Amino acid sequence: MSDFSCRGICSGVNFASITDDRFKRGRLGATLIVPLSHETAAANALLSYVLTRSCKKYPDFTALNRKLDSLYGAALYPSVRQLGDCQALTVAVVGLDDRYALDEGSLSSELADLLCSIIFEPNMTDGLFSEEDVEQERRELIEGIDAEYNEKRAYSIKRCIEIMCKDELYSVGRVGSREEVEKVTREDVAHAWQSLLKNARVELTMLGNTAPDAAFDRFAGYFADKPRKPHLPRPENIVPGELKRVTETDDVVQSKLVMGLRYRIPETREDRMACSLMSVILGGTPSAKLFLNVREKQSLCYYCVSTVDNAKGIMLIDSGVETENIEKTEKAINEQIEIMKGGCITEDEFSAAKLALKNAYYSSLDSLAALQSYYISGVLYKDSMSPREAAALVDSISLERVLGACDTLRADTVYSLVGN
Amino acid sequence: MSFKKTENKRLGEEYYSLDHSSGLRMIVYPKKGFNSIYATMGTRFGSVYSHFVSGGRDIIVPDGTAHYLEHKLFESEDGDAFSKYAKTGASANAYTSFDQTCYLFSCTDNFEESLGILIDLIQSPYFTDETVAKEQGIISQEIKMYDDSPDWRVMMNLLQSMYHSHPINIDIAGTVETIAKITPQVLYDCYNSYYNLHNMVLVVVGGVDPEDVLRVVDEKIKPCAPVDTRVVFPDEPYGVVRSYTEQRLPVAVSQFELGFKERYPGDFASSRDLICTSMILSAFAGESSELYRRLYDEKLINSTFGTEYLEGPGYRAVLFSGESANSVLASEMMNDAVRKLHKNGISEEDLERARKVTYGKLVAGLDNNRSIASELVNGAFTGRELFESAEAVASVTAKDINKRISEQLDPDNCCLSVVKGIE
Repeated sequence: MSDFSCRGICSGVNFASITDDRFKRGRLGATLIVPLSHETAAANALLSYVLTRSCKKYPDFTALNRKLDSLYGAALYPSVRQLGDCQALTVAVVGLDDRYALDEGSLSSELADLLCSIIFEPNMTDGLFSEEDVEQERRELIEGIDAEYNEKRAYSIKRCIEIMCKDELYSVGRVGSREEVEKVTREDVAHAWQSLLKNARVELTMLGNTAPDAAFDRFAGYFADKPRKPHLPRPENIVPGELKRVTETDDVVQSKLVMGLRYRIPETREDRMACSLMSVILGGTPSAKLFLNVREKQSLCYYCVSTVDNAKGIMLIDSGVETENIEKTEKAINEQIEIMKGGCITEDEFSAAKLALKNAYYSSLDSLAALQSYYISGVLYKDSMSPREAAALVDSISLERVLGACDTLRADTVYSLVGN
Repeated sequence: MSFKKTENKRLGEEYYSLDHSSGLRMIVYPKKGFNSIYATMGTRFGSVYSHFVSGGRDIIVPDGTAHYLEHKLFESEDGDAFSKYAKTGASANAYTSFDQTCYLFSCTDNFEESLGILIDLIQSPYFTDETVAKEQGIISQEIKMYDDSPDWRVMMNLLQSMYHSHPINIDIAGTVETIAKITPQVLYDCYNSYYNLHNMVLVVVGGVDPEDVLRVVDEKIKPCAPVDTRVVFPDEPYGVVRSYTEQRLPVAVSQFELGFKERYPGDFASSRDLICTSMILSAFAGESSELYRRLYDEKLINSTFGTEYLEGPGYRAVLFSGESANSVLASEMMNDAVRKLHKNGISEEDLERARKVTYGKLVAGLDNNRSIASELVNGAFTGRELFESAEAVASVTAKDINKRISEQLDPDNCCLSVVKGIE
């Protein structure tokens, strides 16, 4: 990626940096990527949170937070995301750039030290993480899983994916299931730590005004003699069979409709871009087909949006509607899909989608979090691009290529959550 | 007309402001090297402005009108603004809060065209029976979406239990029944009273030159004479309505919001007051505080726990919110801690820690165009200058903090709102 300066530390371990004086803060992150599996997903996720609770140097939640406070409210962000059939675990530290400290001292080197302590020198006794840390983070993770049910839009999307990809790795989910999290032992968490540091694909990112050499040396010192060649599986193309239709009921005021579709997983950067354009044209903006026809013309809903996961070849369309309008809305959405597949994409629609996508790529250059997230979402592609390269590629995509992607679009699952 | 520059050397930042001859206040905050530009045009008119006197007429509008007007302003006689923005690539949106309505876009290209669209949309109201009716279905679904949201319900239930008569106790979007009463005339009444340029501000943040903004404003803006509009708020007693409220929703984790109502002194808080409150909340309930640790050890909160200061015309309150397996016990512990806070104050060590955290957060906010714009809009409507906060953090003393504590967090004037699962 041209905006990023990338250096390999050893096989399977990369260090990417952007040195940029526009930002008031710096962001240093370590991302460990492994295949998703029912056996390890929950322990890996739990580990990410346990690691950021304490470390050998600050062996207690309050001590660690007081240290972060002293670094002008620096923050540790553990996060777990899904990249196709892989799980990506990130621990990032974000803090003020040296120029803005009110006192002497190098904040950036302290932040790098802290991240290294968190990852390499955790708070372990006799090879195990403290029971309290594991139990508190288990509670936190389970409450997080339970809370997904609180927000019915996100919950309905999750249910649609579970039904659609029932027997596929993809449905393991980012952090595994509630039951899997409950079963994780302290030994499992310790094993996850050892195994991840030894076997995972590692992507280190450093963004901000600080020269990256010192941080590079710190990480190289640890990883240089630990090459690895993780096998990271890629999802296979699945052609949907008979439409799966699941309706569940609950005490909700508004019913939810989520439609899951599959399309051929794009193999090249051009095809990935064509699939993204397909989604933006259909339901990605307030000038998209779904917004104009389902919301504005028929007043059926407040939102009707499409999103795609190009790593998996899945499109999700979701809306919140009156129970009596579910069928009508589904029909209206299907009409728009068919119109698009039939080649009816106007020049205005096509150019609006391109402009919207370019705007999103260029905007990501102005945010440390967006840059880091964008970089990680591309690391599994052999031909990944920087945001600037992606924006430049948008214009070269032909309508035929987008229609080619649309041609492969097939309905798989319709999920409805209906008010009692 | 020329811009006035305001700068802060410590932060290396500056912005430019101008009272345009049309009546519009303009603020431009250039961010050198940034690709994106965030522009927002806001009016001091939100859901609480439901009763006002304008041009000698006493006007009371149905609940949800300000938000309805926000939706309808996107439509003008020559089409809707979204399809115009589609031609420039800008990402556009709008929001209505309790005390303001803002129309915004962010772009990385075609800035001047997009700004023209924004100014036109504000100045081309077009409401007919037909266009107003069309929005009923859409906004009804927005309202119902919020009816199912525990985050939203727990807050609105709290406000209804804290405020007797101030319209902050009414849902911003109204109800399906109240919005059915909105007519084109109601929307024009609000528009004419509050979408006057003298009541509005334009803020632009990002990779932009102030002169480019001024050129578009000069060309596009239609000057208007000031209008005499005065909001009417009913008398609001100091005490809360009730100390506990509960709603059952299909949730797996209970949510709570604990609110401490304050006396409204008749004006907006100063930057220094707000900084004192931020520092108090950081020292008292931040992740490194004793209170947080106690609540966490007792498994009464998780990382969703947070604090907020709610402040606007006629209302001020400190809010604590989160998820909890036992909200009542969590609330009792917080209340006990508040009593101790009033007795013992904040230690010197905690104060210094809070100073660093608060300063860090302020500086971090300057990396984000949207958060700068939002602060500048608030500042324009409340008379607070953006960089005052950073200077206040550096100079606030223990005496300031203790005085501020005495004005807020009254443990005898609070309310707990809980959303629980259906049994």
